[in-house]
Amino acid sequence: MTQDIILEVKNLKKYFQSGRPGWFSNQTDFVHAVDEIDLQLIRGEVIALVGESGCGKSTLALTLMGLEKATEGQIFFNGRDITNLNDKERKAVRQKIQMVFQDPYESLNPTQTIEEIVMEPLVVHGIGANHAERRNRVNQALEDSGLKPAETYLKRFPHQLSGGQRQRVVIAGALVLEPLLLIADEPVSMLDVSIRAEIINLLAELQKSRNISVIFITHDLGTVGFFANRVAVMYLGRIVEIGSMADVLKNTQHPYSQALLSVIPVPNPRLRKKRIILQGETPNPIDLPSGCRFHPRCPMAMDECKEIDPRLMKVSQTHQAACLLLAK
Amino acid sequence: MAVQELELKPSIPSSPLQNFWQTFSKNRMGFVGLFMLIVIITLAIFAPVLAPHDIKSSAGIEIGDIYNPPNAIHWFGTDDAGKDVFSGFIYGSRVSLIVGFFAAFISIAIGGTFGIVAGFYGGRVENFLMRFTDLFLVIPDLPLIVVIVALTKPNLLNIIFVIGLLGWTTTARIVRSQTLAVKSRKFVLRAKAIGAGNRHIIMHHILPLVMPILVVNAILVISLAILSESTLSFLGLGDPTAVSWGQMLNFAFGRGAMSAGAWWALFAPGFGIVWVVLGLTLLGHGLEQVLNPRIESHHLMPSRPSFQSETVEISPKPAKGKNNAPLLLDVQNISINYVNDENIAKAVHNVSFQLHEGELIGLVGESGCGKTTLVMAITRLLPAAGEISNGHVYFSGKDLVMLTENEMADVRWSGISVIFQGAMNALNPVRTVGDQIKEAIIKHIPTYPSESLDTRVIELLDLVGIAADHKDNFPHQYSGGMRQRAMIAMALACNPQVVIADEPTTALDVMIQAQILELLDELRKKLGLAVIFVTHDLGVVAEMCDSVLVMYGGVTAEYADVDTIYNAPLHPYTQELLKAFPDLSKPEKKLTSIPGYPPKLDALPPGCRFAPRCPAVFERCTIEQPALHDSGDGHIVSCHLMENS
Repeated sequence: MTQDIILEVKNLKKYFQSGRPGWFSNQTDFVHAVDEIDLQLIRGEVIALVGESGCGKSTLALTLMGLEKATEGQIFFNGRDITNLNDKERKAVRQKIQMVFQDPYESLNPTQTIEEIVMEPLVVHGIGANHAERRNRVNQALEDSGLKPAETYLKRFPHQLSGGQRQRVVIAGALVLEPLLLIADEPVSMLDVSIRAEIINLLAELQKSRNISVIFITHDLGTVGFFANRVAVMYLGRIVEIGSMADVLKNTQHPYSQALLSVIPVPNPRLRKKRIILQGETPNPIDLPSGCRFHPRCPMAMDECKEIDPRLMKVSQTHQAACLLLAK
Repeated sequence: MAVQELELKPSIPSSPLQNFWQTFSKNRMGFVGLFMLIVIITLAIFAPVLAPHDIKSSAGIEIGDIYNPPNAIHWFGTDDAGKDVFSGFIYGSRVSLIVGFFAAFISIAIGGTFGIVAGFYGGRVENFLMRFTDLFLVIPDLPLIVVIVALTKPNLLNIIFVIGLLGWTTTARIVRSQTLAVKSRKFVLRAKAIGAGNRHIIMHHILPLVMPILVVNAILVISLAILSESTLSFLGLGDPTAVSWGQMLNFAFGRGAMSAGAWWALFAPGFGIVWVVLGLTLLGHGLEQVLNPRIESHHLMPSRPSFQSETVEISPKPAKGKNNAPLLLDVQNISINYVNDENIAKAVHNVSFQLHEGELIGLVGESGCGKTTLVMAITRLLPAAGEISNGHVYFSGKDLVMLTENEMADVRWSGISVIFQGAMNALNPVRTVGDQIKEAIIKHIPTYPSESLDTRVIELLDLVGIAADHKDNFPHQYSGGMRQRAMIAMALACNPQVVIADEPTTALDVMIQAQILELLDELRKKLGLAVIFVTHDLGVVAEMCDSVLVMYGGVTAEYADVDTIYNAPLHPYTQELLKAFPDLSKPEKKLTSIPGYPPKLDALPPGCRFAPRCPAVFERCTIEQPALHDSGDGHIVSCHLMENS
């Protein structure tokens, strides 16, 4: 693999204001949704972003897309700083970064036909000289997404398709712009188990044939096991562990990753195992715990965890984790 | 990808417009309204042809013609000037409709634009536009209209503008709230993600979805404009050169029709106003019902007493539960249909299973496989359209299918209780959690001593791991995991023997899911509960359950103990489902999907319901539905392969 860096994120922060200072209060709280994220993505690489709801993985995706404005830090795409762009520049970049959303029942406009939905990106970006040329591209994208023959789908409406077919339409709508980076936000969590694999396999196939980089956001590591090259585990806005699939699954370092992996059910009753069940829920991202953000729930917390906020430390060439245990 | 070909029956694409018309033509109220409106529009358009008399000229009118009662020549009688009231009635419809439609057009254009712009852009723009709207809203419309019209020349154009410019406030408010709702939907985010600008998003994504509500609102605004015009004319502020219903009323009223007993001179224009406004109102209601359908038959209702209409082969009985625990619940050959006027959908067909004390059975299947219908039938909480058409559910010596609604109410909660999916929706947001648990106790055990209710609630909360000081909190103050715990506490309120957990962890994060599963397992051991666990997650089943019933398309695919299901499955569906399920212990495993889609209940395949997707399908499968086959030791499989081997 050539070390062709497609995406580089440096010290990215996204804070949301919670409760504007108004007439009666001048206190401002910040939700630390994404905090000091560093990330590099190589051309053609698939990275899985794992974490529970509220860990900031979806906010990170929206910030990378430019749908949320970064509070601090920089995002480089193809070597170019895209953190702050004007509308025109942003539009040009959007063409190359596309997104697949979680809920295919919600992410398609019910009043548009499949053709209108998939053609819309082309119309918006003025791609294709005329309708016939655009129609060709739409057909191609639909067939590449497994909706064959495309003609039979063009005039249908989303409600006439099944969940899996709808998600294929969403994928076709992203592909039609020939993006370099695809951000998939839990693309299969709303689908039935028997359909999930075919959508994942489709994404894997397209990723290989087009050498697209993929950021795959999920709370279920099992789904992307064979698909992702690397995994990043997020907790309260931070990446707490990042490494190759094998690193994170077989040589898990961070206590949070260990707990998260232990509670993912394994479909074999003979492998019922001891689960590390963390008590309570993820703390409020407004009042962050001192020191390590995980220490109040950490089964291995030490005294210094309350004071020192650990940064990502090298475990191996490909593997990093943010835990003070590693320094010992 | 040969899969899709199966799906491609060239269905006639039905556009939303066609769908709309299909539903609307069945809506009697809307149809009557539309008819009434068409009648009056026809009258207005063809007034010169339809009106029997000239209303402008007074030629040929004699003294004796004043206030003549209805007769063969003058159907509605004559007025104070001896003119034909019926002709006036017909011509009057023109002014009403012209003013109504044009004024409403102005109102809708202004209100719609304000509403969409304010809703879409938000922030300062919204603040300014909506405060401006509020300002207009507090101005008393009619007096202002009267003043303005009195100050300007009272001609039709001025009237249209004044009514139109003052009547847009409600539209702006309604459209704004609809825009806010549409704006937050994911397809708008998707449009932004592909790079669409605001104008494009408004035109292609907001407007089409705001349109229905705008149309319904327009109908209302038209009828209000017509009423305003009539009021103005009645007050003598109408266009003096145009005959309108309001003006006719004004003349009749002011020129002694009452004292002359000429009721017809007042009745005809009054009738016209009522007819148009009523027609518009009915049409508006009709449109609202069609465009904003709330399916009323969807609520949970006690299902009708069943009737045994079919004879079904009795399935082989599986062996006794582990450790020979006593049988608690025996579901035999249950079939459930959903019936509406035209169709019968066989949602569940001939399903049997047994639940022993302390046993945890998993009911697994994809959405639409009938698993939720099955458990709702056990508690007789099917939607109104559902009926148990066959089978028995034996619980503590009684056949639940045969019980009356009152007898069933005694079994619910104290015998069998339910943990519903979606804890936020199942809890009442305006009452404290403690109150709701109390209610569950009182409702099912009315004799419960009221002084010990609080203690019991605290005891229940403690059982599910909620601290007592959260008793008086409202559901929104709870986190997702706590709400699910509260639901469990509620289900345990009356010490049931059987708990049905219907996808209790579906919307929860894995860590919270693990907490809830651990809690359920603990409670089962502590209280000796038997649990029916409904889920689509094979991983959860493997972790939790003793026995598993795999359902597909409303029938049993396979039923066995958990180890057999995972390590020696016999039904091709179970085998394929396991291949599709990710396994973290083998991350390199390539997932395979099952081609095709689960069958729709109104279009079931004639033979085995899995046949169209089955890798091992042979001819018999497409013709004949396989019987339940006992392959020994209570391992039930419904597959023709079993008989061949």
